Amino acid sequence: MKRAAIFLAAVLAMNCADDREARSSTSSAGATSLGAGEWFVDKAQATGLDFVHFNGMTGEFYYPENMPPGVGLLDYDNDGDLDVYFVQGQLLDSGKTFADALIKPQGPMPPRDRLFRNDLTVAPDGTRTLTFTDVTSQSRIPGIGYGMGVATGDFNNDGWIDLYVTRFGPNQLLKNNGDGTFSDVSKQSRTDDPSWSVSAAFVDFDRDGWLDLHVGNYLNYGLKMDQKCTSLSGSRDYCPPRIYTAQPSRIFRNLGDGTFVDATGTSQMAGQYGPALGITTADFDNDGWIDVYVANDGHENQLWMNQRNGTFKNTALVAGAGLTAEGKAEASMGVDAGDFDNDGDEDLFITELIGEGHNLFVNDGTGNFEDQGTRSGLGPGSLPYTGFGTSWIDFDNDGWLDILTVNGSITNIEALERVKDPFPRHQRKQLFRNLRNGRFEVVTDQAGAVFQLSEVGRGAAFGDIDNDGDMDVVVGNDSGPARLLINEIGNRQHWIGLRLVGGARTGSGGSLDSPGRDMLGARVEILRKDGSIRMRRARSDGSYASANDPRVLVGLGDSTEVPRVRVRWPNGTTEEWAQVPIDRWTTLREGEPSAGARREAAEQRAGAEPREQ
Amino acid sequence: MAVLREGVVLGAWLLLIAIGVSACGDGDRQRGASSFELRPILLPNLSVAAKTVQVQVHDRHAALTATLENNASTDVARGEAYGELGKLLLGGEYFDSAENCFLNAKALMPSELRWPYYLGHVYRKKGNAAKSAEEFEQVLRLNPDHEATLYWLAEMYLTLGRTESAEALFSKSLTLGLRSPAALYGMGRIALSRKNYQEAVKLFEEALSLDPPASVLHYPLATAYRGLGLIQQAEEHLRRRGDVNVTTPDPLMQEVNGLLETALAYEERGLRSFETGQWAEAAAYFRKGVELEPENPSVRHKLGTALALMGDNGGAEEQFQIVVRQSPTFAKAHYSLGLLMESSGRRQRAIEEFSLAVRHDSNYVDAHMRLAELLLYTGQARPALAQYERAIGIDPRQPRPRYGYAMALVRLGRYREARDWLNDAIRLHPDQPGFVHALARVLVAAPDDAVRDGPRAMTMVQELLRGPQTLELGETMAMTLAELGQYGDAVALQRKVLSAAMQEGRQDLVATLTTNLQRYERQQPCRVPWIIEPEFLSSEPS
Repeated sequence: MKRAAIFLAAVLAMNCADDREARSSTSSAGATSLGAGEWFVDKAQATGLDFVHFNGMTGEFYYPENMPPGVGLLDYDNDGDLDVYFVQGQLLDSGKTFADALIKPQGPMPPRDRLFRNDLTVAPDGTRTLTFTDVTSQSRIPGIGYGMGVATGDFNNDGWIDLYVTRFGPNQLLKNNGDGTFSDVSKQSRTDDPSWSVSAAFVDFDRDGWLDLHVGNYLNYGLKMDQKCTSLSGSRDYCPPRIYTAQPSRIFRNLGDGTFVDATGTSQMAGQYGPALGITTADFDNDGWIDVYVANDGHENQLWMNQRNGTFKNTALVAGAGLTAEGKAEASMGVDAGDFDNDGDEDLFITELIGEGHNLFVNDGTGNFEDQGTRSGLGPGSLPYTGFGTSWIDFDNDGWLDILTVNGSITNIEALERVKDPFPRHQRKQLFRNLRNGRFEVVTDQAGAVFQLSEVGRGAAFGDIDNDGDMDVVVGNDSGPARLLINEIGNRQHWIGLRLVGGARTGSGGSLDSPGRDMLGARVEILRKDGSIRMRRARSDGSYASANDPRVLVGLGDSTEVPRVRVRWPNGTTEEWAQVPIDRWTTLREGEPSAGARREAAEQRAGAEPREQ
Repeated sequence: MAVLREGVVLGAWLLLIAIGVSACGDGDRQRGASSFELRPILLPNLSVAAKTVQVQVHDRHAALTATLENNASTDVARGEAYGELGKLLLGGEYFDSAENCFLNAKALMPSELRWPYYLGHVYRKKGNAAKSAEEFEQVLRLNPDHEATLYWLAEMYLTLGRTESAEALFSKSLTLGLRSPAALYGMGRIALSRKNYQEAVKLFEEALSLDPPASVLHYPLATAYRGLGLIQQAEEHLRRRGDVNVTTPDPLMQEVNGLLETALAYEERGLRSFETGQWAEAAAYFRKGVELEPENPSVRHKLGTALALMGDNGGAEEQFQIVVRQSPTFAKAHYSLGLLMESSGRRQRAIEEFSLAVRHDSNYVDAHMRLAELLLYTGQARPALAQYERAIGIDPRQPRPRYGYAMALVRLGRYREARDWLNDAIRLHPDQPGFVHALARVLVAAPDDAVRDGPRAMTMVQELLRGPQTLELGETMAMTLAELGQYGDAVALQRKVLSAAMQEGRQDLVATLTTNLQRYERQQPCRVPWIIEPEFLSSEPS
């Protein structure tokens, strides 16, 4: 009997998206009240954000080809606007040449990661001109290797945001030198995890003021281990994840001296893992300590609750966030945490496979969740799609978080295969509007022509790229061109934009020798006179293999009221700003609330626009 | 030459269907009995499908074409021909092509429930729950008691958030006769969504009693217990959760699932048999898969596993050997071979196979564990330590590698480290009395004077004696008494333990107990904590 059990254990160790239904059944005429014109417009080409992903496929169906690319948004030159980092693929098989590639590489050769500098200008009349310049060469980023995703954070607290690039192969920590260049410090920092990683997140889990790093690892896979998988009908296809074993994810503790130590074991995160694809960090039980949620492919997800002593406890199952309400593990890919119902806690949205429907786990405020994917409409509305990159995004600035997903099947779509599409798995993106009652409606058709494009969407990074007060999106498509979705309607409503900075170091002469860094994990509350509160969090993680704008943008609807702002910093201290101007970006510095308030008052008397608090 | 000619003909035919030209193309555009305009059948791109599937589709398509070209054929005959092709395409997950076939079949045979039923599944799999529900509703109009449709329509209603409609159908299922676990599962989920936890517990428990292998039930049941605040019960069910679905009688879909002639299709059939413990049936399916794809390591490995479970170790080994010859990096086959070698006493070969398993899959915890235990048993404690360490690194929750690591330290005579290690293990695994027991042995029998601590060991053993009393614990108590100089008591207890061991036929203990008894009689303490046997190592620490 025992032997039977061992063998059993050994064994077990072993379409076209018809979106007509989704469109017709859940679209609402009410959404047109947002006004005429396209809500999002693709401006990638027009702005010079010219990047085409190359996945290196040659017909061998190597697993990694089906998974990238992620995208990163970061202000690497500290000029106040978001630059863009794209990861690139390579030929995986050393015996092949570019001539063997089923879809040939485009753009500068050889294919490599690329960094684009945002050269946004704002004319005196407020006209914005958005252009990007490819600064890959100047940046000295090596950018070679098979890229999967990006995480961003200032790991050495020098005021310059750094990059962590996940790869099929050793990951890279790229230190921003502050002069437009980066240095590869992967080895000396001990973060060169050789596993196949997809998503990663910078997070100060021990509240010591230094950003630690959680790296989500996927499968134990190598070209030599590659298995030839087929569909049911016997045609070659990429393998499902269950064919390979999962790789344990890692958490690296930042020692503050430029190095990290692998704290996976001591943090008690080592024992439970799955094929990780998405990571989001948030304080799910509102105890002031950041927790970690990991979305796994075809395996139960993990909810790592911070025990405030350097360790974590996975409560996903007992908390109702590990499986669907039916008890099934789905193919979780992208994930994001956000307070969609404005009740003061962060809820989880996870993208899934065709036929599964995306999941919405609603937080009761204590870190316990209820699966409301169906009730919210997000599940039924997404059934024909395989979702990857996603975010809670208040695209219309009405103060309620909406959902955007980028989609692309992981198996061949019959109709596309029939017409000999070289990569027959593309699908449209989707946009869901929050109806403020726990439900969402699909508004994809109203969102603009870019939402009609069918592409193999994977990564998506979200942020205010043109600094005009609404959320834009950069999309990474597998074997396709990147898209820059510029939001054309969000700033028709009022908003408040905050950059939350802390950790500034003062030199001997009293001058700042570091401008401080984005305080990832800081919790922001916008307090209004009617007693309502909007809670958001500074973060760069979430989505799929991508890094978001670390700033916080909160939609205020048609309210012109200047709200109070309360910030709980990652170290647990709370500060409040009495009046923060709306409809502009403002920097709030940790430890300077009163000074900021005084400066603001002086600036207002002088008729100036306050810029920094 | 004949093969070449056949290949050319097949290739030409494939070219035709690959460009979307159906043999029944224009001929299909005729009006059926219900004045529905029949849809052209655009076959999928089969050029990349398995040859067997190409032939299967070709045959059914040819049958359809012949039926359509026969002016004497009835609507029923034509409907059947469309439906048969549709079933095959559905089995191959060619949902678009299957959809048109079933739509035509439905138009030609409006009173036949199979076609809307299959259409319901086509739309379900395409993620179109609303259209799926419409088709299933049509089936129920034709047969209001169709059991599988009652279930699937209710599921679609749940997907669409139409809870009341789903509840009515599940309720009807339950009134039709036997209590259906699937309907109880559905009703339980509805109760759960309404936060009626008491009712949900009742329904899930009943479903589980009717369908015990359906491990998927444990998770929602745990959620319901959590809702009632019964955390202990919730955690118990969380531990038992799995992904075996609730049984749903569905002969129509079963027929479709049995149509396709590919290795993967047979592998999936085999796995379904596996889930219900039908090893022979599973082996038969896997064997068919192997016949279709002799170089598919996954299906051949499963065949070997099924054979081993049937007791045919020779047959199993043969299959595993073929797998590793064809796919040398297939870690699971090396592991399975290792198990077979170990069970037949070929320890060195087993070590080699386990080593290959961990080389090709460095995260293979079970393989690291088996390798470590075998290394330790064969006197290779140092390399065993490394394997235990790796297993702990991968999954630190497991007590067994931590226990094995301590045993390896003892084997190496590193008693101080063993003591410290066991102290840590007790802290990390407070629910595992086996670590306390092991530490007590080290404290009374380690040859290192600086390690032994008889009084502390006595406290620990007395605490352990409040729990289950085993021969091993009695032996440890006797060791402790001897260490404390209470030889008379030690001799008396050791004799009782020895007698009990002989009565129970525990020959593995008798020799050691006898040796130690002689020591105590000579007023000498024990200085050998364990004689390490494989059975001892492979048992849980407690």
